[in-house]
Amino acid sequence: MVSAGRRKSIAFFIALGAGLILVTLLLYVGWVLLNWHHGILVFLGVVLAAMIISGVVLNTIFLVREIRRNAQHDAFINAVTHELKTPVASIRLYLETLQTRAVDEVKRQEFYRIMLDDSDRLLATIEQVLRTGRVGHTSRTLNRSPIDLGEVVEECLSRARKLHHLDADALEHRAVSPVTVLGDAEEVRAAVSNLVDNAVKYSGSDIKIAVETANLDGKFASVRVIDQGPGIAKTELKQIFKRFYRVPGPLGTRVKGTGLGLYIVQSVAQRHGGRAWAESEGPGRGSTFVLQLPLAKQLQVNAK
Amino acid sequence: MSRVLVVEDEQHLADGLRFNLEAEGYQVKVADTGEAALEIMKSDQPDVDVVVLDVMLPGKDGFTVMSEMRATGQFVPTLMLTARGHPEDVLKGFAAGADDYLTKPFELSILIARLRGLLRRREWLRASVNPIAAVPPEPSRPEKSDRFAFGDKSVEFDLLELHVRDQVFPLTLMEANVLRYLIEHEGKPVLRKRMLEEVWGLHEDTDTRAIDNFVVRLRRYIEDNPVKPRHLLTVRGVGYRFVAHPVDAE
Repeated sequence: MVSAGRRKSIAFFIALGAGLILVTLLLYVGWVLLNWHHGILVFLGVVLAAMIISGVVLNTIFLVREIRRNAQHDAFINAVTHELKTPVASIRLYLETLQTRAVDEVKRQEFYRIMLDDSDRLLATIEQVLRTGRVGHTSRTLNRSPIDLGEVVEECLSRARKLHHLDADALEHRAVSPVTVLGDAEEVRAAVSNLVDNAVKYSGSDIKIAVETANLDGKFASVRVIDQGPGIAKTELKQIFKRFYRVPGPLGTRVKGTGLGLYIVQSVAQRHGGRAWAESEGPGRGSTFVLQLPLAKQLQVNAK
Repeated sequence: MSRVLVVEDEQHLADGLRFNLEAEGYQVKVADTGEAALEIMKSDQPDVDVVVLDVMLPGKDGFTVMSEMRATGQFVPTLMLTARGHPEDVLKGFAAGADDYLTKPFELSILIARLRGLLRRREWLRASVNPIAAVPPEPSRPEKSDRFAFGDKSVEFDLLELHVRDQVFPLTLMEANVLRYLIEHEGKPVLRKRMLEEVWGLHEDTDTRAIDNFVVRLRRYIEDNPVKPRHLLTVRGVGYRFVAHPVDAE
């Protein structure tokens, strides 16, 4: 409801801007018709009118952009508030329960496990917010070293299995060829981890995810995370990598998140001279996320 | 027994709330989407006495669920429980028709006290609208005495209230049950283990500290000086003993 109201107010300002430009143009054309025989005046008029019009256009564009950013920022604050407060509320509830009630041993162990899960979730959100700050600074230099991409994927998969309590066959690693990339191990791990976590989160209850690592044409290595989840609409494929962006509709509210994960993936890819993108046949037909990074050998040759 | 509907999509919170509310003697139902909650509330006589409603739900959010419930003439007391604590969110909740609003993280005892407040108001309303059909709040063990007076204090078990001179303290169901058990065994020491078994219905070898917490709370109500209890005495290594009319040593 809020966003609909906001869209309406943006539409009003765009219309206002366009209307004003039209009025200026009409005045200007009339003025030129009246003064066509005063050469220098007409010239000055043309220049001033062009300046005014471009000023109004720029102002309108800037305003609309700012309003959009504000709306996204609000949504982000709401999402982060939820992601930070929910696990704290849960941990607190269970601690109070253990403190004030008689709880048998089996339940007690279950409560400990729940609290650990919640503290993991809390930590993941905190790390994501902090990492967004770090990858946003282009000035921060990368700690590059050769990384075995297959190893990183294995690590991320076993972490995800533990975190989401999954069977080994729900997450599968297909190493097409062994690949080594030159990069910041921590950042690459964070990027792959984000892709795997997303695939798990959006897949719902039926989780079947494959991660392929391959050597592409001797220049780039790719990590493809393939899921059988809800898929992505064509119009969303690029949008989802934007900072704070979350898919609209029930999917975005069912799956909780901060809107930072894919932004981090893309920033990490770009900082390493690679890229990241999403492929999907459309809603309901699964999706594939690709992270492409330059191969180690290639980079070293370039550096020399 | 009062029936609570918890509308919460976060599994952990929903489970934790269910455990605690059941321990307080409520009957608990959980819905994990707004749509499911509306479905439950749609029937003419939904078997729900009070609702705990989250805001950030998949699909319809809590505000929408709230206003749709009220629009269809469903006036069950509802407490909104949400991470969103901005004044505008709180106002939005009340505008949608909520009776109470609590932000996460919350204190368990405050949540329970507020739910009891909502239930109590509902009973009063029923009693004033229709005094003959009014159902008194069901005591958990109706065959037993519902009022017990000692010194200048009295316990109203059916109202879950403790009267100390002109002050009234509300009791939770479990507090009342613990107190009732102690009063029934007046003068005799009561084993912690026995209390666990008979008040909580637990048979496992559990930690008995939970009882101590209840006793600390009860002492705060009934003792003039909780540090030097005169009614609710500790029997070292055994448990507790309740004395209705202590003989003054002083």
